[in-house]
Amino acid sequence: MSIRRSVTVRPFRVALAAVIAAAVLGACSSAAAPSAGAMRVEDAWARPSMGMDRAAAAYLVVVNDTGVADALVGARSPAAATVELHETAADASGQMAMHPIDRIDLPVGGRAALEPGGTHIMLIDLTGDLVAGQQIDLTLDFATAPDLVVKATVRAS
Amino acid sequence: MTTVAIPARRVPWRAIAIVLALATVGLMIAIAAATFGRGPAGVASRFAYADAAPAPALDLVDQAGRRFGRADLRGRPTLLYFGYTHCPDVCPATIGTINAVIAASPEPVQAVFVTVDPERDTVDAMAAYVRYLSTEYIGLTGTPSQVRAAADGYGVTYSRIDTGSAGGYAMAHTAELYLIDARGRLRSHYPFGIEAAEVVHDLRALATE
Repeated sequence: MSIRRSVTVRPFRVALAAVIAAAVLGACSSAAAPSAGAMRVEDAWARPSMGMDRAAAAYLVVVNDTGVADALVGARSPAAATVELHETAADASGQMAMHPIDRIDLPVGGRAALEPGGTHIMLIDLTGDLVAGQQIDLTLDFATAPDLVVKATVRAS
Repeated sequence: MTTVAIPARRVPWRAIAIVLALATVGLMIAIAAATFGRGPAGVASRFAYADAAPAPALDLVDQAGRRFGRADLRGRPTLLYFGYTHCPDVCPATIGTINAVIAASPEPVQAVFVTVDPERDTVDAMAAYVRYLSTEYIGLTGTPSQVRAAADGYGVTYSRIDTGSAGGYAMAHTAELYLIDARGRLRSHYPFGIEAAEVVHDLRALATE
């Protein structure tokens, strides 16, 4: 009985597994690469706010799969009245200094990681508290590629 | 010569190989021990100061407006950091490291955040800021000259930079993290971006002193 049952069920299981695998693969590929020839953004996140009068930083990784050299030239968000691109760098005396920057170059196939202690998106004049677990929209403005809206998760690190 | 007379197959290659391997491993351990070995004062880290001098003087006020001096650092290990509350990138990253250290520390740790921006970071501003942090945090400020004196003691440098950002001016500052032991002695300093595990390692060493 049990043998016969396993024989009859197995093809169904194989088919089910194949369907699940295909669905998972499809979901992964659509999440990681919406379409060939586009800008790809991974792991967008923003720090929780520490008071409405203090700016919060957002980070993400952009991969330029467009086949054309481009640059991130700005961003906007309903979470903040002003959004700027900034870069933190150590100067000759070892001091960490933060400056606004005009653009983050994205060569063909290039990958720009906006991360703590490097480049980041500054959310200035917040429109509300940013609380861990929340998601905010970030619209990325590229020199050539069309605007891209991404969801950034608010988290401490 | 007698050595020539020994048949080649009698040479104990296996024994030689084992001896060489053991010697190599021993040498590597010796080098590692010399590189990462216990410092003279006991903190097992390349970030340790050679001596265990008293922490530099502080004459500041905490987020409740109470005076805070280096004697207040005693009683439990302290992680001390100079930053400013309008710092959205470097300082929160260091706070994240400190939080990870606090979570993994074998014993209670105090965290002290000293502003380098006394113009904006008044006592009230520090109180508002530390409210977002865990209860281990103390926020210190003072007059510009008190803050400068505190920073000088630790070798911290900072300067105001007007960058044209809508977020207002920024402060350029050195971003090292300092470890002070429960007896108020300055023991280690860590560069920005240090892994929490390195600091926890040193805290464990302090706990066994």
